[in-house]
Amino acid sequence: MWRWLFGRLARAAGFAWLITSLVFIVSRQLPGGPDQLAVADLSESGRLGAAAQAAGSQQVVRLAVRRRLGLELPVFYVTRAGGQWQWHGTANQYHHWAVAVLHGDLGRSYRDGQPVGTLLREALRFTLPLAASAAGLAAGLALGLGLYLARRPGSVGARLLGGLLNGLQVTPLFLLALGLLLLLANPEFLNLLPAAGQAPAASSGGHLVVYWLGRAALPLLSLVLTVLPELTLPLVANLRHEATTGYATTARAKGLPVGQMLRRHALPNALLPLLTTLTDLLPALVAGTVVVEVLFALPGSGRLLAEAAAAHDYPLVVAGVLLTALARLLGLLLADMLNFLIDPRLRPSA
Amino acid sequence: MKYFWLGSLLSLLVSACSAPPVKQASSPVTIRWSRDPGTLDPLALSNPSALDAANLLHVALLSIDYQANAYAPALAQALPQIRSLGDSLTALDYELRSAASWDDGQPVLATDVDFTLKLLNCPGLPNEANRAQYGFIQEVRLDPANPRRFTLICRGRGEDITIASGDFPVLPESVLDPAHTLRYLSLAKLQAWPATQAPAPAVAALVQRYQQANLAREPSHLPGCGPYRLAAWETNHQLRFQRKTKWWADKLRPAPQVLQARPQELVFTVLPDDAAAALALRRHEVDVYPQVPARIFQQLQASTKAQAEFAFYSQPSYDILTAGFNTRRPALRDKRTRQALSYLFDPAGLSAATQLGQGRRTVGLLPPGSPFYNDSLPLPTLAPDRAVALLRQAGWQRRADGHWWQPGATSPLALNVRYRTEEATFATTALQFQTAAARVGIAVTLLPAESSALTNLLQTGDFDVYIRLIKGSPFSFNFATFLHSSTIGSGNITGFSTPLTDRLLLAIPTEGDARRKRLLLRRLQAVLRDEMPLLPLFYLPTRLVVNRRLQHVIPSGLKPGYALTALSWPAAANSN
Repeated sequence: MWRWLFGRLARAAGFAWLITSLVFIVSRQLPGGPDQLAVADLSESGRLGAAAQAAGSQQVVRLAVRRRLGLELPVFYVTRAGGQWQWHGTANQYHHWAVAVLHGDLGRSYRDGQPVGTLLREALRFTLPLAASAAGLAAGLALGLGLYLARRPGSVGARLLGGLLNGLQVTPLFLLALGLLLLLANPEFLNLLPAAGQAPAASSGGHLVVYWLGRAALPLLSLVLTVLPELTLPLVANLRHEATTGYATTARAKGLPVGQMLRRHALPNALLPLLTTLTDLLPALVAGTVVVEVLFALPGSGRLLAEAAAAHDYPLVVAGVLLTALARLLGLLLADMLNFLIDPRLRPSA
Repeated sequence: MKYFWLGSLLSLLVSACSAPPVKQASSPVTIRWSRDPGTLDPLALSNPSALDAANLLHVALLSIDYQANAYAPALAQALPQIRSLGDSLTALDYELRSAASWDDGQPVLATDVDFTLKLLNCPGLPNEANRAQYGFIQEVRLDPANPRRFTLICRGRGEDITIASGDFPVLPESVLDPAHTLRYLSLAKLQAWPATQAPAPAVAALVQRYQQANLAREPSHLPGCGPYRLAAWETNHQLRFQRKTKWWADKLRPAPQVLQARPQELVFTVLPDDAAAALALRRHEVDVYPQVPARIFQQLQASTKAQAEFAFYSQPSYDILTAGFNTRRPALRDKRTRQALSYLFDPAGLSAATQLGQGRRTVGLLPPGSPFYNDSLPLPTLAPDRAVALLRQAGWQRRADGHWWQPGATSPLALNVRYRTEEATFATTALQFQTAAARVGIAVTLLPAESSALTNLLQTGDFDVYIRLIKGSPFSFNFATFLHSSTIGSGNITGFSTPLTDRLLLAIPTEGDARRKRLLLRRLQAVLRDEMPLLPLFYLPTRLVVNRRLQHVIPSGLKPGYALTALSWPAAANSN
């Protein structure tokens, strides 16, 4: 088991590195790098002085930006130019980046020169609790709703709830979040929850926590309602399927009530797909939930990475990809391990 | 403890539902920003939010007086005295205000201006844009008799240079270079420093000190002589600026408009989504909402409650919605073809559809109110019949399939239109052009692109027609950056140039006589209208919504759309 685990971890790390390296190399081939953006901003705003009108002057600016950011170096150990392969040794951008990352340095943002690690850490302070609580709440609700819907398949309540869940499943997140915002944080309708606003001045730690809890209510609700159908509907289908199997019939024949049969016997078998879906949510813990963060003005990692991508802030984008890829691969690993825990027949040694 | 949490939650809900908070004279003014400034490094201010923030922390020699819509002296005592030195140099004599001082009470001196200009040109710092922008200032001559007097020797002539010479934040020498090591290096030497050569020891040490100061996030490490200090910054959420209790300009009588700083506290809330920002305004979480999109502005105006609570302002900005033609394409080389296509745009209809009819139509690159505006030219209009006639004059023949062909051509007249994806106005304009063109038999393909990809595509000439904004200014008539032959491949995207327009473009900024300048500008507008490399459709409006109780609201067509530091709450405390 341990050997299997280390093997999977090593493979996960290897794949994450491969994905990130590809993104690193591809991102540097894209048009509109930070040097071009600097010139475009200047030119559009008319801030280029009379002496700097000529195209040559703009080239000077671009070159200077590239030199300062280390972008004048070749991207990789080998490059192809004029039909010829050229070897550059270790004097290339990828090598510098890889060595720095292996020493725990994710680089500095092009936009503000801040360490990428610090920027990500600050943003994750918001995204991790939000996404984790949403996942936890949605999982709990999905279990409760799944059991309820499986126990009373034909009841009016179950039909209504099923319809609602199906409706939620086809509603895009931005529409749902905007609807909640317009419904619950709007003086024209219900002005119940804060959507933006300031933390109370001179707030103590406790007040700040309460403030952020209030701020998190609507984003949390949006996320939970979006994830809920994805978790609940397959669980209901699985529970209903398990309820028709032989062991369930035996349990019922021995006098066990439907609810207990579902909870004690059917649920462990029906849980496996739910766990896989839940671990699929792990990358969102890192990459954030851009739509919700933009709409509710939360300073999370989704917004950070989306803005970095728009501004061609490569170090930040590449670090985001690395973390997301790691989270994704570790999520798959976690799903496997949970499956082994619940169903020992699936274990590698079995 | 549990009662604390319960109580706090209840109070939060109650406060959310209750009446808006009472605003007193000392209450903060809260402003919506659509994005975080990212960096407050005075050398690397790359977006409007960062520029607004820097103007609170630092003061330049000259600043915009939003009431007069003109540049006015800020740190400088008066506008500079202008002297011509030969054909190509201008000397600008400045004197700093005697009251101007840093937070420690030390006066702001000419040596600080000299240091700032050297910092703007120091190799190794994130100042590439500044070096291009202020590279025309060759030398700073200090007056040995008066430490507040100095002369800037500038390359070129004209009003542009005068304004640009005073448009940078002046920074304190004593903080970054207490030993005055940079005084021994001339500005010209720093400007000409070869990129391949290692920096001078004094420069290397300064660069190190600058980087250690982390001014991007810690502007307090370089306190400016502006009226505010940064009190708190939560990235992507909020910035809080507090007014200095003692600020040197408070002593000035009468207080110049550009040196007024009324709010005791300014809070910028970063709200990227427009709908969420509108709700925040309705909930009084935001007092000022600048650059309001047309749809939101209309929705707010339609609400009687909002009408009672907020004041609405709309006026023309200096950003022109423009369609441009790639004059290097064989099909678009003939000016009559370009003129024909210009008649397929409907500026009036587009203004009504995208800007509530508040777009200000224009004949050229100058606003209709300008004394240099060529009012003898007709406004561009939608006229498909004239387009058809002009296409025929240009040699195009309409075949039985309805398309236009040149004799011997292998394909009919068909165009692609490139524009930025995220702006609905561009998409609507492109769609209107496509529809009008289809009616006269021209196939138009719409190719929206992401902002930086679009810049690259336009600069490499991969387009037939583009739709974008040209950002103008009431202070500058320097159109050479996007029309002169020397900028083809960078700013000049259409690839258009003629010897006549090149001459006009270079003569206009340096012409000192107003009458001759008017003639030159009117001529340029007429030539551009005839050659039609680009078609200015209309000036976009800038819309502002503010809490009705705010006083001294000075809306402006210039960014950020209002005089930020002029705002204030009424002295007497009463509820909203």
